[in-house]
Amino acid sequence: MANSSDIVLEVDGLSVDIRTAGGTLHAVRDISFSVKRGETLCLVGESGCGKSMTSLAIMDLLPKAATKTARRLAFAGEDLSRAGKGRINALRGNSMSMIFQEPMTALNPAYTIGNQLVEAYCLHKKASEVEARERAVFLLGKVGIANAAERLGQYPHQLSGGLRQRVMIAMALMCGPELLIADEPTTALDVTIQAQILRLLADLQRELGIAMVLITHDLGIVARIADRVAVMYAGQIVEEGPTASLFNAPRHPYTQGLIACIPVPGRTEPGGRLGVIPGVVPSLVGEVRGCSFRDRCTKAQQACLDAPPVRETADGHRWRCILENAA
Amino acid sequence: MTALIEAHDLTRSFEVSRGMFKGKRTLHAVNGISLDIRQGEVLAIVGESGCGKSTLARMLLGLLPPSAGAITLEGQDIRSLGRKGMARRVQPVFQDPYSSLNPRRTIASIVALPLEVHGIGTAAERRKMTIEMLDKVGLPQRFADRYPRELSGGQRQRVAIARALVMKPEVVVCDEPTSALDVSVQSQILNLLMDLRRELNLTYVFISHNLAVVEHIATRVAVMYLGRVVELAETAALFKAPRHPYTKALLASVLTPEPGLGIPDTGLGIAFPDPLNPPSGCPFHPRCPERLPQCASVVPQILRDETGAVACHLHGQGPAPH
Repeated sequence: MANSSDIVLEVDGLSVDIRTAGGTLHAVRDISFSVKRGETLCLVGESGCGKSMTSLAIMDLLPKAATKTARRLAFAGEDLSRAGKGRINALRGNSMSMIFQEPMTALNPAYTIGNQLVEAYCLHKKASEVEARERAVFLLGKVGIANAAERLGQYPHQLSGGLRQRVMIAMALMCGPELLIADEPTTALDVTIQAQILRLLADLQRELGIAMVLITHDLGIVARIADRVAVMYAGQIVEEGPTASLFNAPRHPYTQGLIACIPVPGRTEPGGRLGVIPGVVPSLVGEVRGCSFRDRCTKAQQACLDAPPVRETADGHRWRCILENAA
Repeated sequence: MTALIEAHDLTRSFEVSRGMFKGKRTLHAVNGISLDIRQGEVLAIVGESGCGKSTLARMLLGLLPPSAGAITLEGQDIRSLGRKGMARRVQPVFQDPYSSLNPRRTIASIVALPLEVHGIGTAAERRKMTIEMLDKVGLPQRFADRYPRELSGGQRQRVAIARALVMKPEVVVCDEPTSALDVSVQSQILNLLMDLRRELNLTYVFISHNLAVVEHIATRVAVMYLGRVVELAETAALFKAPRHPYTKALLASVLTPEPGLGIPDTGLGIAFPDPLNPPSGCPFHPRCPERLPQCASVVPQILRDETGAVACHLHGQGPAPH
């Protein structure tokens, strides 16, 4: 087993509250997880479940109206919740970096990709521009971009979506991060390009021993790339476990419902009925009590009005439900 | 099955400005497509962004005139049917239920608008038809006087479906109807579309980039690449034995939720080509893992046989070198 020094990111009791006109929205509610060196953790859930807010909270990039609290939010053993702005700035884009969903909005249209690639490296590594450009060319080659040296002089609008996302990946890797957070990195891309980018990301992550948190709504991506999976619903992690265990024996009724919703060639009957999760996500404004899934759960009972217990199996598969096995 | 809609050598090009002093270039969004849409089928059109699938959809709806070629509906040229005549028989459902509904109208008035435009029934009759239609798509009557902003994405897409069906069309063209929705909502909309098809005897043209959804809902699939149909076959046959290398790559890219399989290698070298400057010969040849010497110079002819159609030198009529 890995020892504790292998843990790159440790999140304990993270909550994010957002002030809205209608009251306080509890976007993330007391979630805990950790990611080891060389490991990929997928945060999966539907819109509004708090997965993106979680990543922004870790990177200290929350919007102004949002506040975070955590018992501990540690990067490589250092508690970031006590670190000052200067320290965060020194880490962000350096040993912890992020890939965003839409490379067109994440890249600055007014600067060449060369400028954008070298900026953080010169800043964090106190490197010369020549050294930084060398590294940029090396990494662009690594992410599969031909004629890398010429590409440095191009602007984002001159590149296709797939190329832009490759540039984003190269940029995130410039300073040799220990932690990489990728928020829906392939959602804006075509399916064939998606497969190429995910393959590239998985290869680089393994080769460089990076701890990766990949945020997605796509269970297909999760099954193929994750070592461990955390399923989020209404701001909480409702189930977490090793990928095979989570997909082969999902325990939480929400996870079971999600998996039943997706058509799978060769498995679901063409034209047959797909599973559904009735109802809608509850409002997270104001106080949220008991199991947040109970209104949509076919197995809900009186006991679900209270906060459900966290159950755990020997292989580290945990879920929040009154039922041992909802299947 | 009889052909309801037939497209004959359909082409649509756009003049694209390249900046102030460079003059215009021609973009062939749809380049010589012939296909038929048969009564009662679900014909899926799949392909990546920029392949021309939405342009084809807009032409099938009569919203965009073709640059060349023609579309017939039961043998009659759709130009002679006029916009209104087409709208009675062919209706769209668009991708984004947030932008496709007028935010200042109530749900009932959005759904009733086609009836109003076509002068069908009295106000009271239209109201009754609207409520019935909302009920069919699973929206209770209490939604009738609400506004789109009060509805979730899935509910809005139900409204869009109700609006499309209120005229009792024969064909519904669904352009990525579930791409903007969460998976749990997507399954509800797919189930609804299947139910409505059975109940109302509808024909669907289903445009999507999600092949798992296509395999589930479609009876036939047309694969598009750079404005052309490169393969056409019954769904089961296409998924079992794809013939075009591009179809193979698309199918290989489907990430099913099966742990342990890893990320597939599609074998596609470089990125999608620039549609303004398409490659010579077979437009897929720069990315094709199975290309032959002639692929770079000779455009493959479409081969039509009992399985469907395929445009690839590997499946040419002539003796193909192996």
